[in-house]
Amino acid sequence: MIEILQNVLIPFLDLKLLSLVALGTFSGIYIGAIPGLSVTMAVSILISFTFSWDVYPAISLMIGIYMGGVYGGSRTAILLNIPGAPSAIATALDGFPMAQRGEAGEAIGITTVMSFFGGLIGITVLALAAPSVSAFAIKFQPRDYMLLAVLGILLVGSLSGDSLVKGIFAGAMGLMIGSIGLDPLTMDQRFTFGSTAMMGGISFIAVMIGMFGVSEALIQLHSMKTPGVKQVINRIVPSFGTIRKYLPLSLQSSAIGVIIGALPGTGGDIAALMAYDHARRVTKDPEVPFGQGAREGLVAPETANNAAVGGAFIPMMTLGIPGDSVTAIMIGALFIHGLHPGPMLMVEQPHMFWFIVGCLMLANIFMLIFGLTGIKLFVKVVEMPRTVLIPLILLLSIVGAYAVNNSLTDVYWMLGFGVLGYFMRLYGFSLGPVILGVILSRLLDDNWRRAIISDQESLPRLLHGIVTSPLSLTLFLAVIVIFLSKTPLWSMLMRKKTS
Amino acid sequence: MQSNTPRRPGELGFNLFIIAASLFLLYHAYGIAGFDALSSAGAVPMVTTGLMTLCGVIILRQNLRKPGKTAETISRDILPLPVIVTIAAITAYAVLLKPLGFVPTSFLFLLGLIKLFSARSWGFSISAAAGSVALIYIIFRLVFSVLMPAGIVPEGEILAAIGHLFGAAK
Amino acid sequence: MIRKLLGATLALGLTTLPALAEYPEKEIQGIIQWGAGGSTDTVMRAVTPHAEKALGGSIVMQNVTGGVGAIALNQVVNGDADGYQILFGAENPLLYKVMGLGDKDYNDFTPINVLARGVPILVARPDAPFNTYPEMIAYINAHPRDVKFGSTGPGGLPSVVTAMINQKTPIDVTFVPYDGDGPALTALQGGAIDVMPAVLGAAIEGIKGGTMKTIALFDVEASEALPEAPTIVSTNPEFGALLPWGPFFGVFVKKGTPDDVVAKLTAAYGEGAKADDFKALMDGRGFKMMNISGAEAQAFLAKWQSTTAWLVQDAGLTKASPADFGIPKP
Repeated sequence: MIEILQNVLIPFLDLKLLSLVALGTFSGIYIGAIPGLSVTMAVSILISFTFSWDVYPAISLMIGIYMGGVYGGSRTAILLNIPGAPSAIATALDGFPMAQRGEAGEAIGITTVMSFFGGLIGITVLALAAPSVSAFAIKFQPRDYMLLAVLGILLVGSLSGDSLVKGIFAGAMGLMIGSIGLDPLTMDQRFTFGSTAMMGGISFIAVMIGMFGVSEALIQLHSMKTPGVKQVINRIVPSFGTIRKYLPLSLQSSAIGVIIGALPGTGGDIAALMAYDHARRVTKDPEVPFGQGAREGLVAPETANNAAVGGAFIPMMTLGIPGDSVTAIMIGALFIHGLHPGPMLMVEQPHMFWFIVGCLMLANIFMLIFGLTGIKLFVKVVEMPRTVLIPLILLLSIVGAYAVNNSLTDVYWMLGFGVLGYFMRLYGFSLGPVILGVILSRLLDDNWRRAIISDQESLPRLLHGIVTSPLSLTLFLAVIVIFLSKTPLWSMLMRKKTS
Repeated sequence: MQSNTPRRPGELGFNLFIIAASLFLLYHAYGIAGFDALSSAGAVPMVTTGLMTLCGVIILRQNLRKPGKTAETISRDILPLPVIVTIAAITAYAVLLKPLGFVPTSFLFLLGLIKLFSARSWGFSISAAAGSVALIYIIFRLVFSVLMPAGIVPEGEILAAIGHLFGAAK
Repeated sequence: MIRKLLGATLALGLTTLPALAEYPEKEIQGIIQWGAGGSTDTVMRAVTPHAEKALGGSIVMQNVTGGVGAIALNQVVNGDADGYQILFGAENPLLYKVMGLGDKDYNDFTPINVLARGVPILVARPDAPFNTYPEMIAYINAHPRDVKFGSTGPGGLPSVVTAMINQKTPIDVTFVPYDGDGPALTALQGGAIDVMPAVLGAAIEGIKGGTMKTIALFDVEASEALPEAPTIVSTNPEFGALLPWGPFFGVFVKKGTPDDVVAKLTAAYGEGAKADDFKALMDGRGFKMMNISGAEAQAFLAKWQSTTAWLVQDAGLTKASPADFGIPKP
């Protein structure tokens, strides 16, 4: 026990490690906030950069960036309606309307505190229950992932705004965009029209930056003469009452975050969207409707995506299996530093596990500190004259889209999706479902095929498999209940009951 | 549901465009593997593009029920001049990036748009554009080593020369 | 005034230029064919800092993924042959032509170094009802289509190993496709698949930790990293003719790059691959160090292409015959 505590406290007591975690968290917030710079990219650059370092300093820096980056995505989502990272997409839905009302400071405050809370829960689960959670996560079969993806697709109902048909169209379009390129399972070319550049598919980030960044900028061009929104900042740190009010929701969202984060193959982006949907379902009457600046719409995704960080470390530390793309790179980094991440790591080198837990805790604390300071400066961005802000957003979007893969093709895609998104918004389509579709496309498609192949192409066998496995059955029933709850039939039934 | 709001200008055209695009993609999805197997690479794409076509048609039906008269016009509410200019500017940026290089292209892009939109003085526009480009260059090129096309500015060599100077000073 | 300044800059430029003209006079762009965290990525990021030291220049590494690496390969082949773009690749491009993924492969490149080779290994979930290769074949024959093999699309290591197996004893199993051996091995530990042909490096920690078990090592000699794993030739010597075979990692520049640049890079990577910690990393992950360059590397690539292309051709996995591209039969 003493030994565990000693290892957890290493980063807290060593000044060099402490400042590295601080530095990492600080830069992570900015990396996360800038669309096109991703944590994955930053951490892989760090592998070469920290090559000659000891393993402790290298890991502390990476963890700082990871924690800060997941949180940082919310900044641009709230202030500019451009999610800095996929995991902040849900945050934009209610965060941006708040900023438009002059409540950016409050939105950032809630986001920060909730991210901290979610991070804390994730780390706690990692520290106390890693082996059992990973034993559970590894049991997910292709059919379970498929059901999980279907569950995600049902979010279209919450994201589609006024017109469900248009939402379904947008969702289907997203799924289709996600399947473009060389199919990694069969090497068949899908929608590539014979072009090599299309074989890699369309960069998801280019679609996201185009759909959110460019289309948002184009829409704002309509009202260029309106001055920036004056921000009132009187309260940044939410009151204790506010925190207590959202405690049940944030606990539930954290649970969603940890589980989805721990599943190999799903990460913070899906967790945040699922938590958002969950919030819409369980919140009976929000003070402000969802999509117009509901605080619940910030609380849920932000706790979930930071809880997913701890979750992602669970399979990595216990089995050497990455929980997401960042932990995949960290596994590589551990190898380079002479460690052997795998089932034996916890047995042979438990100190590494506890050191990582310590770093995560420290990074979480720094995230809270850095997140709550300098907000006044940050919100100035929204107060900038639009005539300067819009060109700047556009340039940043272009550079961001280019930087993902150093490719001009991505810039054209970004522009194309920006213009398409612009028209879609003008004609009453909401864009959330498109991004949802792109995120879930591979999860759904790949696992559907694996599931049906495993059952010898027979639907009855697949169904039999689903009803005989408790896990699959639970997911299946969840799909059915949530689906029904979104149909008119259900609301009719509910109305009858209450009347 | 929303049938009492009038159709926006161009809405019908956009609607027909998405139906045509969906049909084209559906045809292409069928071409991936035909009706080979439930597990084929073309199965899910066929479902998604089929769904897109179906939704497109339903949306068309809703649209046709809406009153066609509206006070909105294409040139004011759908494609006002600034939007067209901006789309053209981004296209020009992408075309010029390789031959001209990152720094000059970005500077011209920002300068043009800021000057056009804000109608402020040249001094203001130039300093805003230059400052922003410098900031982006530092973050992306220097800190994150994203190699932007150099174009006419031999920045790689300049950076190396600066590096040499400092190296020599050590 | 301006003229004077211009003159001064020009003069400065002229005097500094000759000193800089020696390669590398600016940052070199290193394009990694596979995503961050993959084995190509790890290997390249581990060796490059050593090579940079030997080269006296800096190499900016960047992952360009997609199209089984074809996008990265095309990016480098479409660039200038000046040594400022290096391709860090794996074995896949040698099969692009027969797989219909493009008309460029390593024949359009000059190999700087073929660093190491991976060893294929057949692993199973720990509770699978067989322990050795002959037992597995017997079980498959007794239960057709029951056993689930992981696969990663035609042309990948699993498909080649499966082609080898099929060439000797045709097997009737269900292939469940994954997008890499990492995700497939994860599925193996969760029981979604029963058997997976993988590269030793990806499976070694799982085997040591007991989350999967070895069926056979596809090599002619035992591995130092995992000495207890039985080789396939110890039970089925007929595989000897096809082995050793394995995926590899290499550093390449576009063909036509000046000889002195190739020589410098070759020396740098040759030196880098000798670094102790790099060798330790490779041994620990079960890769066999090769560190070959020049004609030796060319010959290795040609032989690899001929063996593998014809193997997958005979298994019926190709879109075009190797003969169409002048790839000789082994």
